[in-house]
Formats: sequence, structure tokens, C-alpha cells
Amino acid sequence: MELFDSAFLQRLEYLSLVSRRVFRGALLAQRRTMQAGGGIEFADHRPYTVGDDLRYLDWSVYARHEQLLLKRFQEEEDLHVYLLLDCSRSMEFGSPRKFDLARQVAAALAYIALADLDRVSVTAFAGEIVADFPLTRGKNRILSLLKFLESLEPQPGETDLARAAGSFVHRTQRRGLAVVISDMFDPRGYERGLDLLRHRRYEPHLVQIFDPSEAEPSYLGDLELIDVENSDVRQVTVTERALRTYRRLFDDFQTSLARYCRNYGLSCTQSTTHVPFDELILGMMNARALAT
Amino acid sequence: MQFLNPLALAWALLAIPIVIFYLLKIRRRRLPISTALFWRKIYPVREARSIWERLRHLISLLVQCALLALLVLALAEPIFLWQLRAARRVVLVIDNSASMQATDIAPTRLARAKELGLSVVAGLRFRDELAIVAAGTEPRVVCGFSGHQRTLERALADLPPTDGPTRVADAVALARGLIDQRQVGQIVVISDGCFPDAQPLSTAADIQWWTVSQRSGNLGFTQFQVRRNLVDPIAYEILAEVRNSADETARCRLEIFLNDQIVDVVPLELAAGETWNRVFQQSSAKGGRLRASLDRADALAADNQAWAVLPEQKPQPVLLVGPTNLFVQKVLESHPLVELTVLKQLPARWPADAITVCYRQVPEKIPPGNVLVIDPAGSCDLWQVGDKLTNPLVTRQDRDSPLMAHVRLDNVLMPEARKLVFKTKPQVLAATLDEAPVYAALERPAGKVLVLSVNLDQGDLPLRTAFPIMISNALAWFAGEHGQLRESLATGSVAEVTLPPEMLRAATAAPVRLWPPTGESRALPPGSDKMLVGPLERCGVWSLAPTSADHSDLPGTPAVAVACNLASRQESDLRPAESLLAKTPPTIVAAGLFTRPVWFYLLAAAFLLAVAEWFLYQRRWIS
Repeated sequence: MELFDSAFLQRLEYLSLVSRRVFRGALLAQRRTMQAGGGIEFADHRPYTVGDDLRYLDWSVYARHEQLLLKRFQEEEDLHVYLLLDCSRSMEFGSPRKFDLARQVAAALAYIALADLDRVSVTAFAGEIVADFPLTRGKNRILSLLKFLESLEPQPGETDLARAAGSFVHRTQRRGLAVVISDMFDPRGYERGLDLLRHRRYEPHLVQIFDPSEAEPSYLGDLELIDVENSDVRQVTVTERALRTYRRLFDDFQTSLARYCRNYGLSCTQSTTHVPFDELILGMMNARALAT
Repeated sequence: MQFLNPLALAWALLAIPIVIFYLLKIRRRRLPISTALFWRKIYPVREARSIWERLRHLISLLVQCALLALLVLALAEPIFLWQLRAARRVVLVIDNSASMQATDIAPTRLARAKELGLSVVAGLRFRDELAIVAAGTEPRVVCGFSGHQRTLERALADLPPTDGPTRVADAVALARGLIDQRQVGQIVVISDGCFPDAQPLSTAADIQWWTVSQRSGNLGFTQFQVRRNLVDPIAYEILAEVRNSADETARCRLEIFLNDQIVDVVPLELAAGETWNRVFQQSSAKGGRLRASLDRADALAADNQAWAVLPEQKPQPVLLVGPTNLFVQKVLESHPLVELTVLKQLPARWPADAITVCYRQVPEKIPPGNVLVIDPAGSCDLWQVGDKLTNPLVTRQDRDSPLMAHVRLDNVLMPEARKLVFKTKPQVLAATLDEAPVYAALERPAGKVLVLSVNLDQGDLPLRTAFPIMISNALAWFAGEHGQLRESLATGSVAEVTLPPEMLRAATAAPVRLWPPTGESRALPPGSDKMLVGPLERCGVWSLAPTSADHSDLPGTPAVAVACNLASRQESDLRPAESLLAKTPPTIVAAGLFTRPVWFYLLAAAFLLAVAEWFLYQRRWIS
């Protein structure tokens, strides 16, 4: 297992210890999931969106401030962690590949969850769900999970998070934490897929991985750009001005993703492939600890 | 239109590889990307863009082909027929004589003439050719026919001022020869017009005249000479002449210096056009450089000073051998340069560097060195003494010889002389009616010999003024050129100089150079003792000397010095004719905008095209 060698496993154990001892399970397990209506202890408010259960509207706040806010309650239960891993062609990019980092992150999160006796499943998707590792529990299942991850390959077809999420939420399974590990380059937009998860009371958590060359491309001149997901060929002449526009669009995309997560109280981690997976996980822990 | 270099059109074949490379180049680099999400927003319309892309590539190819075409045409050097027909040959005659250094037109007349000359050069069209002729001292072509403006401008800038006379007429004749009757030939003369032929020249049909002067008064030396006194060997006489070439009275002070030590001062007041001259009497055995100056600043500085060289009179050791003759002894003692030693008998050893005077006693072999024999009693290796000549009458004497200068022997009473039969042919200085020499000169490799066969005890020769003059001439002849006077030359003259033997011998180790009063020295041809130097274009003292042992750019001890003065009434008079001043400056045919060859404009267009191509390429408007 080149991707998950012994050094990698040692780093996983280290992350698991850090998660429990330093951050007290703030990342995944030993934490309270935020399930509306399922708990008894008030947690916080969030803005109302179409489709939310009107029973949880805080009418007293509306009477005082004329703002539609939804009450959220904490509920303690066994955590189900669903890792949704993007296996589209676009994840093949980067140095190192985004796909490799994504699998390492998925493995790390799964290890931490299994070590905390939570239930973990992995769902690989591209245009639709392409592979599944069913819910499992117990640390001894980590090796088979790693083998599953290692057996995954980028799949042809455009990324379609909405379609994959639709298939995912229609399964008969308990709600839980849905960690989406992807570059979020969905030509149809990532919002619909995440909305589906939210509306079906999953708690989405985004881990966006992108390569610095995608954020800051440096190629100029006459090019034949080939979209690897749909083989769309586009003959362009890349100028400095076009590059500036590209960077602005990319920044806008990143900002809109972060704003979306902030609006709906979702965790969001955006990182480049140059950040090692353990640093990325520690960063997530830190962010989570600050948030709680 | 014709091409001067049609073979260069073959470079157009480069278009083939350009097109090939271009076709290869438009195969775009394929670049896989993770998503076209963002590029789709930047380039939303694909069809319209592809049309522009095709057009853009065509423009790029056209730009490159146009660039190649411009360069190939430039290399082929195209020329229009009208350019060939209208090509002019212009001769620019610039007066750089002494008067052109006048500062009445700032900074000088010559500088202004150069400025005007530059405007003529700037007005040249492509294929026009211009030659520059200098008209000062010696007319000469300083730059042959050329259309290269930078060369012409440099030649104009390097045109030196001279203190020489104006030779515009000769320069115009030279210019006419250069043009060679071409219909498109032009002669442009730029001068101050301060010379007699200026008026007819300025109205000549083939000359465009440009006057650069105004009427300015000037006071200057027109003569300055020095000579030794004929009687007193250490005395000298100075002739100074000053002319006021102005329309009003001028006052100044004339000062004369010998080796920068003042020797005389004279206040002057000269009316308009007046010429003043005087001879000054002074004495000095040492000699040196005489300089006269006028303490008056005027438009022309070159004639406010004058120089002369007064040679040093070195002491001459003389050995008098023979019975006492007070006439001979006293005439030698009276010579201020003679250091006399008297012997009754012939010495066992002859002194090396002394002049020997043998009176009556004659050795069997005439000693080396310079020897004067008076009334020889016996024969020697150079002559045989014959019969006595009774009452010889001198009927023939060599008037051209410096030995006989100011000497007349035809009325001298000489009762007795000795007939001499020379073994080699002498230079007879004085001879009797029957051609018997009584005074003769012999030149040997070992030295000069003079023999006077007259019996001094009889006759009145010792009592005549001719006798001390003869002795003085003889001593001067023995001294050689050293000690002789050298007149001050006018600028533009050529001087004939003779190098002294000791300098000639040392010339192999230290070559003799000609050192002008200012500026760089010139090497002289080696191996010759007599040479012509000049024309001497600058006022001051010119010297022939080896390079100083201490400073390579300074002369050593000069062997020969020649004074050179402007000494020209014409050059000192800075007032041109009124008609010349009133003359309208010529209209030099301006070149207009199209002054350069076609290839220049083609190159300029290629450069602009390259800049535009670079600009468009940087913005990826073209590829």
C-alpha cells in the first residue's frame, strides 16, 4: 500500500490521539450532532430557508426582531459519519494529485471516527455513486477501509454532486455527518447537492481540495484546453488579462463556497494539495475547536 | 524604381520557412484542465471566437510576411529614378584663414561658418554628395565627395583654424575642378570676404556666397623682423611695423620682450589706416626668442603678437700662430666673440675646437678644423706657393658668398701678394686680372680653410673697413649656420631648414620632430640634413627638436627655431566690402522631408511594424 504506508498509519494514530486528548473529540466523535427536533437542549439559531420545518421557528425572536430564525437543538447519539469522496477525473489533477490527498483525508477522518467507536461509511461518487464502503464500526476495520480507498480510481463523467447526493439521501440509513471531500468543480453547481444533504438532515461538512495551479494558472498563448471530465475542447488564446479574469472568477468561486457554508452553519475546509493531509486534519480540528 | 542590390531580393525566400513554421505553430498546444468552469465564463462564445481566431492568425501571418518584405526591400536598396537624376554635387568652400578667427561674430567667424556648413550638410538629399574644401593657407580638400552626413559633420568639426592667408580664389578653382562641369554641381563659399577678390567671386554665377563678418577695426603687426648688426656681432636690430586697420584712431602700447624679459616699450597712437614702423637697436650675445605684443584687445588676437628668433652668438676660441702682426691680432681681439690665444711658433699639437689663424707660418699639413691662413710664406698639402704678385688688382670677387658680404677689394691698394697653386679647386673669393686667386676658400672633410695671400705689411688693406668685415665674415663662416640670423616668416610660408650635424647624428636615437607653437608635433623624415617644413599655419615659434627625455609630449632642446607671424595687411583688415555685407544669404536648397534613402524608411517601417507586432503579441491579439 504505497498511498497508505506504515508512516501514514503512524500519522493516523497520532491524529487520533490528538483528536481525543487535545481536542476532546471536537472533530467528529464525542460531540453532539445538531439535529433539529431530535434533541432537548437548545443549541443556537440559524436563518430560515425554504423547506425548513416551520415548527422550529423561533416566533418570539420574530416578534422582537422580525427575523425568521430556526431553533437548533443538540442531541447526543452514536455518530454516523458518511464520507462522500469525489472520484471524478478532475481529482486526478495536482501535484500531488488531489485524489490522493482526498483519499488520505478520508482515511484519516475514518480512522479517527472508528477509533471513537463511531460508524463510518465511504461513498465514492463522480457523475453518480460509483462505489460504497458500507457502514462499519471498530478500529479493526480500518485496513479493509484503506484497501477500499486504495482500490478507487478516478471515474469518467462530469461531477454531479446533486445526482450523487440524491442517490445517497434516498438510502435507508440514519442521519449523520456527511463529509464531502471534493474539489467542488461541479458544472451544475455544488449548491443543489449540499441542499439535498441539508434538507434530509444530514450535517454536511465540506473539505475542498484544489491545486495551486488551478487557482493561479500560468500558461499563456494559444491553447487547446481540454476538460478532462467531459472532453470539451476549447481553443483559446490565454492573455494576461484573461488570466486576471480567471483568478478573479476562481476567488469568487471560493468565496461563494465559504459564504454558502457560513450561511448554513456548515464546516468548510479549503486547502491546496501542497498542505499535507495531517496538517489539513489538524487545521480542521483547530477550526472546529474554535467554533465550539 | 531600381534596386542597387537586387540579389538581396533572394532573401524573400525566407517567406517559405516562415509560412511552414507558421503552419506548424498554429497547431495549438493541448492542455488538459480539471474544469472548464471558469474558462467558459471568460470565453463564452465559441463560434464567434473561432472566426476571430482564424482572422487573427491570418493577420499574424500577414504581419510577419510584411515585416520580411520590408526588410528584403531595404536590403535590396531601392532607389527612384528621380533621385538619380536630381543628385547634386556640392562643394563647400570654407575660409579658415587667419581673419576667420575674428571674434566680432561670436564665438568666431569660423565657428559661425561651420554652423552654416552644417546646415548645408543637413540639407543634403539622398544621393547628394558634398566635398569640403578649406580655403586657408593652402587650399585643400578636407573631405572628398560623400553623402554620409556624419562623415561630413565630423570633417567640418575637425576643420582647424589657421593663421594663414586667405586663398578662397584658389579654393574656388579647386572646387570647380572637383565639380567637373556637372549641371547639378554647386559651389557654396562661406567666407568673411576680407580679401581683394571677394567681390567678383561673390557675384560669380556658379557660386553661392555666404558672408560671415561685419566691419570691425583691428590693430596688428604687419612686420616684425630682427637681424644682427653688421658691425657689432652682439648687437641686433628690430624692425616692427604696426597698422591700424580701423575707421578710427587707436591707442596702445607696444612691448618687446627677449626671453620674456622686457627690452623696450613704446606708446602708439595711430590714426585710421595709419601704418607705423620703427627700428630698435639692442644688444645681446645670448640671443633667444623675441616677442612683441600690443596691449589692446581687438577682434583678431593673432596679429596682436609677433615673434622673432635671435640666434645665440657663442664665443669662438681662436689660435693665432705666427710673427706678431698687430693688425691681425687687434682685429681678432676687437671681435667680442673671439677668445684669442697667440703663439709665435707652430704648436706641436693643434687644439681641437679652435679656429686657427696662421699668419705667414704654414705647417706642412694644414691642421684639421677651421683654418685661416694670411700671407702664407710656404707651401703645404693644399697649395704650392708660387711667384710674388706685384700690385695685384682685384678685378673679380664672389659677391654671392657670405664671406664677401659688404666687402669691396677692387679699390684696395695691395702692392704685394703671393701666387698660390691649389692642389684641389678652391672657391675663389677674390682674384686678380690674370685670374690669380688672392682670397680663396677650401672645404675639406676635416674642416674649412680660408687663405688670403695678400701681404698685410704692405698696402692699406688692414686700414680699410673691409678687413675687419672680412675677418668677421670669416669667423661667421667658420661658425656655420649657427649664429646666423633667420628671418621671421609669414604664416603659410615654407621654411628651408638645415639640421646641425650633432642633431643629425643623434637623430637615429631621438628622431627630430616639428613642434608647432600649439598642438601636436609632427615627425620629420629621417636621414636628411636639409628639409622644407611647412606651410607654417600658426603664429608663434616653430621648432625642430627631439622629444624631451622627461616628457614625451614636450620638445627637448630645439636645434632650429623659426618664428612665424601673421604679418599680413590683408588678414589684419577685418573690414569686408559693404556690398558683401549687404548681399542676401543664399537659399540653400533644403532637402525637405525625404532626405534619406528609401531603405531607411523601409527599415523604420519594419521597426514600427515589429513594435506593433510585439505590442499585439504581448496582448495575444495576434500570435
